[in-house]
Amino acid sequence: MAILQAETSADAQSVGFWAWRGVKDAFGVPSLVLGASMIAVGGLAHDVGYPLGATVLSTIFIWAAPAQVILFGLIAAGASVPVLAVAVGFSSVRFLPMCMTILPLLRRPGTRTFTLLAASHYVAVTNWVEGMRRLPPLPPDARLPYFFGFANMVMLSATIATGIGFFLVAHLPSLFGAGLLFVSPVYFTAALARAARGRADVYAMLLGFALTPLAINVLSSGFDLVCVGLLGGTIAYFAGRGHRQRSAREEALRTNPTDAEDIAP
Amino acid sequence: MTLDPALADALWPYFVVLFAGFLPSEIWRWSAVFLSRGFTDQDEVIIWVRCVSGALLTSVVAKLLISPSGALTAVPLSLRIGALVAGVAASLLLKRSTMVAILAGEAVLLTGAWLLR
Repeated sequence: MAILQAETSADAQSVGFWAWRGVKDAFGVPSLVLGASMIAVGGLAHDVGYPLGATVLSTIFIWAAPAQVILFGLIAAGASVPVLAVAVGFSSVRFLPMCMTILPLLRRPGTRTFTLLAASHYVAVTNWVEGMRRLPPLPPDARLPYFFGFANMVMLSATIATGIGFFLVAHLPSLFGAGLLFVSPVYFTAALARAARGRADVYAMLLGFALTPLAINVLSSGFDLVCVGLLGGTIAYFAGRGHRQRSAREEALRTNPTDAEDIAP
Repeated sequence: MTLDPALADALWPYFVVLFAGFLPSEIWRWSAVFLSRGFTDQDEVIIWVRCVSGALLTSVVAKLLISPSGALTAVPLSLRIGALVAGVAASLLLKRSTMVAILAGEAVLLTGAWLLR
């Protein structure tokens, strides 16, 4: 909080107001959803014989459920540290585009690099997909405190859930376990659909689904998702841009028919 | 400097989390802090990166459905896909609520799994 109060132009009271609003908004579906996935992660760590402390810290420090699943799965398979690091590194490539799209929403003139590095640590699927929808309507100065409040609340519940899963998962009926593991896929898809701002976002989702079965069969694990992202995302971007330009031209034609030729690319 | 072997064994899991978990993930986040400098969310490059993120995340979801882990492997693929479609469809019909998506998806998945048991 000290970081925020020192540099946001809004007064300390309003920083506190927005941070608390972030906490309140995170308390609910976002916290529950990530909690459900982290119960499974905690259980997995317990199964491979990991100590509780390192398991809970892995949620706070790695802050990426798929990377944790890869880490504990490969530890169980007896992989060496460099192999683990490379596998986790590949699965976490997605944080680069995710952070690159959310940081421009958070950054203000004069925001310190350290603050942005700290904010970037909280970027994972849940905070990204919620942030992409919740941050744009907020006043620019409110976004950082809101994001820190939201993300810390989500992290707190995820950390508690990791600990609960560590002790609990062995005692859960299998139908309940399947239900827990299904929470994140269905939530992420619905949240992405909700955060979609234009046709390009919708195309990106549809292509992401359509190309994945193909990529899994053709490409080696680690590259498959990144390739789907680059290929599907690029196609979606150009399709969306074509649509934006056509709409802009039609709009120009409606408002000022004589000048419409100038808008054509 | 030598470390007591028992202590080294106890610290090993923390070392692994730090060097094989934290750093390989954080390097991407921190790179983005420097790469995104000077861009706004309206810039064409950022719109493209946003599309890549969207496709990448749906790809993560698709992979979770196609090759799941743990207890979800016991549920057939067609039911996993059907439950996801039902959840998202319900959410789109009802104010795009994510809670509706979870409840409808889980209802289909658990009912189906219970009937197939």
